[in-house]
Amino acid sequence: MEKINPMNYLFAAYVAIWIILALYLYSIHSREQSLREEVRRLRDLLEKKSRQ
Amino acid sequence: MDQRGQARLDEFLGALLFAGMILALYMAFLQAPREKTMGDLQRIFYFHVSSGITGLTAFAVNFAASVMYLVRRNRWWDHVALSSAELGVMFLSIVLVTGPIWAKPVWFVWWTWSPRLTSSLVLWMLYVAYLLVRNYVLDPDRRALVSAVFGIVAFVDAPIVWFSIRWWRDIHPAPMLETGGLSPSMRPAFYTCWAVFQILFIYLLRRRFFLEASRQEVEWLQRRADMVS
Amino acid sequence: MPAKVWTIFRKDLLIELRTKDSLNAMIFFGIVVLVIFNFALEAIRESIRAAVPGVLWVSFAFSGTLGLNRMFAAEKENSCLQGLLMVPVDRGIIYLGKMIAACVFMLLTEAVIFVFSLIFFNLTVWREIPYVVLVCLVGTLGFTAVGALLSAIAANTKMREVLLPLILFPVVLPILVNAVEATAIILNTVDYRQLKLPLTIMTVFTIVFATLAYLLFEYVLED
Repeated sequence: MEKINPMNYLFAAYVAIWIILALYLYSIHSREQSLREEVRRLRDLLEKKSRQ
Repeated sequence: MDQRGQARLDEFLGALLFAGMILALYMAFLQAPREKTMGDLQRIFYFHVSSGITGLTAFAVNFAASVMYLVRRNRWWDHVALSSAELGVMFLSIVLVTGPIWAKPVWFVWWTWSPRLTSSLVLWMLYVAYLLVRNYVLDPDRRALVSAVFGIVAFVDAPIVWFSIRWWRDIHPAPMLETGGLSPSMRPAFYTCWAVFQILFIYLLRRRFFLEASRQEVEWLQRRADMVS
Repeated sequence: MPAKVWTIFRKDLLIELRTKDSLNAMIFFGIVVLVIFNFALEAIRESIRAAVPGVLWVSFAFSGTLGLNRMFAAEKENSCLQGLLMVPVDRGIIYLGKMIAACVFMLLTEAVIFVFSLIFFNLTVWREIPYVVLVCLVGTLGFTAVGALLSAIAANTKMREVLLPLILFPVVLPILVNAVEATAIILNTVDYRQLKLPLTIMTVFTIVFATLAYLLFEYVLED
């Protein structure tokens, strides 16, 4: 069996940790973003209503 | 606390987290000594165990918040319960991914059905199930109630899962904290990583909490807007 | 209190005996699972006896889930749940009645599936039967103690049939693990003193979750 450098596993483990954290942060961020858009939409809607 | 105070606290926590994370990486990779038998591979341990403990903390928070919701019926506790369950699943995912990566070069297998591995996996499944329950109940009040019940059931189940498979052969290294077997020279690095992960948990919990709170507020506004138009 | 539990239980039993909706489905599904395992385990035909406990409990769990799914879904379909909720009894009583009904249906199913497994896997048992009955009884009580609660939870969601197994199996895992272990001890060893540990864990599980569900059931059915 080919001997794989154990350092590769160490590297892979930490890369995996950062990827999971980054994915989670991204998912929070994108949910926040879509909420902000929704708030903007609602505000526009209300302004339009009040002008009528 | 008012909104500006919250934002200030967020900034402070973010800065603390950033500095702490750099320190934790330094401690885990450079300060901690090289382990005798496993070599540098052992450095996975610092983040692996820290996220494990943080995941368990998150589930304990979920349990407490679920009980508090049933007692107080305040949506605030439901937001805490949801946020901590999601974070617990995230931290346990880190444990379940880094575990096999460590196991392959040391045990020569990715996975083995030892009690510790099996219980971690089942714990992860229990809280994924919790998130599924939340996903499929539409009414917010009902969702909060039902998921609080499930959160309590899941947390009570966890120790029983552990005891019912404990007699299986365990090759996982005994938790160093229970046996006091962690070499004193490795302790500073481990405690630093542990503390930084707790800060990470608090930071993410706050962020997820406010996301859920504003999401529900927006939903409420949407219903109001529908009524107006 | 026992009289009230009995009334709820009798209601479910009568409905089931008249329609036989779930019981037929449960039994048939259990047998289908046995047959499928027969193909899946083709490779280890020689040592099939070692795999029988696992096969049996997978089949019990699957057919049990089928029955649990129907339990509250049927009440919802005909708006019977509202009627049931108007009955002036503690919600915990409804839970106990439902749980005992589910347990009885599962035990009936298990008896039939067990007989079929004896035929399909060429097993001869006599002396073992009382022990198997005991393990089935404790295991099924534990399974339905959680199952009745989660079935009520799942009935209130938009994906009820799909959701129940997903949330039920991780929670009842201790029961399945120990029931398989205990059944394996009965079928494949002679030292029955080993049964004490799995039976104890299953009993603890059942008592803990039956109490918990009895207390929490009112929140699940709250309207």
